[in-house]
Amino acid sequence: MRIIVPIKQVPETSAVRMDEKTGTMIRDGVEAIVNPLDLYAIEAALLLKASQPEGQCEVIAVSMGPPKAQSAIREAMSMGFDSGVLLSDKKFAGADTWATSYVLAAAIKKLGDVDLIICGERATDGDTGQVGPGIAAWLDLPVGSYVGKIDGLTDGRINVQRLLEDGHEGLEVQLPAVLTVVKEVADPRLPTLRGKQRARKAELTTWNADDLNLPDENLGLNGSPTRVVKIFRPSVTRECEKLIATDDQSINTAADRVLEFLQERELV
Amino acid sequence: MTSMQQDYNPVTQQIADELKGIVGDRYVVYGDAEKLEPYSHDEIVERQYAHPAEVMIRPRTADEIAAIMKLANRENIPVTPRGAGSGLSGGAVPICGGIVLLCDRMNEILEIDTENLMIVVEPGVVTADINEKLSGTGLFYAGYPMSLETCYVGGNVAENAGGGKAIKYGVTNRYVLGIEMVTPTGEIVQYGGKLVKDVTGYSMAQLMVGSEGTLGIFTKIILKLLPAPKASVDLLCLFLTADEAIAAVPKIMTEAGLTPTAIEFMDRAAVKAACEYLNETIPYENAGAMLLITVDGSDAQQVTREYETIGELCLANGAFEVYVADNHTTSERIWSVRRNIAEAFAIISPIQSNEDLVVPPSKITELQAELERLAEKYNILTPCYGHAGDGNLHTRISPSPDMTRQQWDELKPGMLQELYETTNRLGGHVSGEHGIGHKRKEALKIFVDEPTLETMRAIKRAFDPNNILNPGKIFDV
Repeated sequence: MRIIVPIKQVPETSAVRMDEKTGTMIRDGVEAIVNPLDLYAIEAALLLKASQPEGQCEVIAVSMGPPKAQSAIREAMSMGFDSGVLLSDKKFAGADTWATSYVLAAAIKKLGDVDLIICGERATDGDTGQVGPGIAAWLDLPVGSYVGKIDGLTDGRINVQRLLEDGHEGLEVQLPAVLTVVKEVADPRLPTLRGKQRARKAELTTWNADDLNLPDENLGLNGSPTRVVKIFRPSVTRECEKLIATDDQSINTAADRVLEFLQERELV
Repeated sequence: MTSMQQDYNPVTQQIADELKGIVGDRYVVYGDAEKLEPYSHDEIVERQYAHPAEVMIRPRTADEIAAIMKLANRENIPVTPRGAGSGLSGGAVPICGGIVLLCDRMNEILEIDTENLMIVVEPGVVTADINEKLSGTGLFYAGYPMSLETCYVGGNVAENAGGGKAIKYGVTNRYVLGIEMVTPTGEIVQYGGKLVKDVTGYSMAQLMVGSEGTLGIFTKIILKLLPAPKASVDLLCLFLTADEAIAAVPKIMTEAGLTPTAIEFMDRAAVKAACEYLNETIPYENAGAMLLITVDGSDAQQVTREYETIGELCLANGAFEVYVADNHTTSERIWSVRRNIAEAFAIISPIQSNEDLVVPPSKITELQAELERLAEKYNILTPCYGHAGDGNLHTRISPSPDMTRQQWDELKPGMLQELYETTNRLGGHVSGEHGIGHKRKEALKIFVDEPTLETMRAIKRAFDPNNILNPGKIFDV
């Protein structure tokens, strides 16, 4: 069995500072980490691997990014991944979710024999949550999104529970398939010293646009239908109504007003 | 307070009004027991160490504090300065009643002096905010008390806070270069300054560090900064037994020849309590103890070499797993386990004796053995954690579940006496970083001889002839 986990290297968000003029993130000196939500996908893949007989399941990390994104792949390997592929080419720069999922799908196709693709719910920087389902669309595979629990694998099918706003939805999905997972799915393990040592020595595969045999017009900014026109902070306006109650009479008046306020909005 | 020789005057409405005149109505709480309750205790779990204040006041300036101190001397009313109230020895508890003086409004970072590598802060700045403010400057403040997300830097200086990075970076006193403060009699004075070297008279600023709010109320603090390390890695090393973990600690420094930034020890009970409290899933079930080891430096490759050496050494000395955290997210995950032990225990057992013993680093195995001996002899629990690398071991001694409150109260004095005598014999002291306050006043006498105590009293009398500022702390005048 072969499981592929696409991951993204993102800026560590606890230390992020914004450029007030441009509205963009100042990336200088900001630590790059594996997208925290991808760690749940990594853990889910490792748990599935552990549930299979020894040597029967291979887990591979794939990441599109600049050369330094190889440290994200090595982090996945230090947690227990078998190998990783970095997709790196200047032509990939500026890709939106359409062009990103296009390249990732091409790499997954090239790797071949894939049974399951597990993605994090979304990346903490772009925050779209579109790449996982995008990969499924490019590969014409079924997708189970917002998976909170993986119940098990049987006969070429996987049973999962999707986390919905009003409960859980059980799905039985035919493999190969794409899952996007949420935090509830598993608690990520920490990398070990032995894992780190193994990951540091490992040879990583790097593929560029030519290796994937992809036409330029579908890549990066050229291949992205999304255009960022303007970045701005939304202005939040709150119209606050303050009631001060100090004695019986004003408490009654205030209570009446609160009730009226809620009734106006059909909340009671 | 049986040991108080002094009668103070009560805070009357008239005095409360005068205090309001100094700082403004909204910054004084008087005659409202419920609102005053939070200022009657610190983080000590046992309620017997609490005592209510009569009035709480929140000044903004040194001049206001000076006026308050003059009034307090005139009216013979005690004043207890207070930071965030995260102390563990009762330093901020108004045990004689009177005025609690809260520093929370004096919370500005006044100056980042990048040319001199210094920062000037007010006492109410939250310690963690200093490094947040410094991010991007390439500089950092090396103080790292375990309560850094809540505690105030003024309290850190008053208690000479230690914390997790003391083996490499030392404790608070190493970084305090200057202090502006209000004396107990209400004078505003400046000690030290932006000077790396200074032998112009007694080192008054250093005398203030660790004075537990008995000699002055800080209003400005000049701290030394260091170039921020460019790389930092944490190792979490899991051992089957506490003995193996403790035995590995000195080897890191003697055999590997390295000085890590931190070596924190956590025994099984400590890890379990914190992990359950945090819902953390680090596999601790098989671990009898863990070491949390931090290595930092200016060069990532060097840090990698050092952590590999230390990790291998731990594996060769009984560790069965070593986890590596080399980014902020994983590092925070590991450290929050260590930082939350105290809070987790406070919830588990309301009856406990929280000890802060410090011995020469090489004696820590013997101290650990003594705690095990006492646990068996008295049928008590001695969960252990702390700064193993610098010899400062914390233990929250608590009764076994089948013990009555009365049994605990009966055995506690004798048990502590034995523990303190062993600590003293090992060349250790009763408090490494929490301070004496009123909690360890009796124990202090085991460790400090009478002539020295008399010198301390004389210093106190010289600063505070009327014994107005934080009376009843450390020793009785």
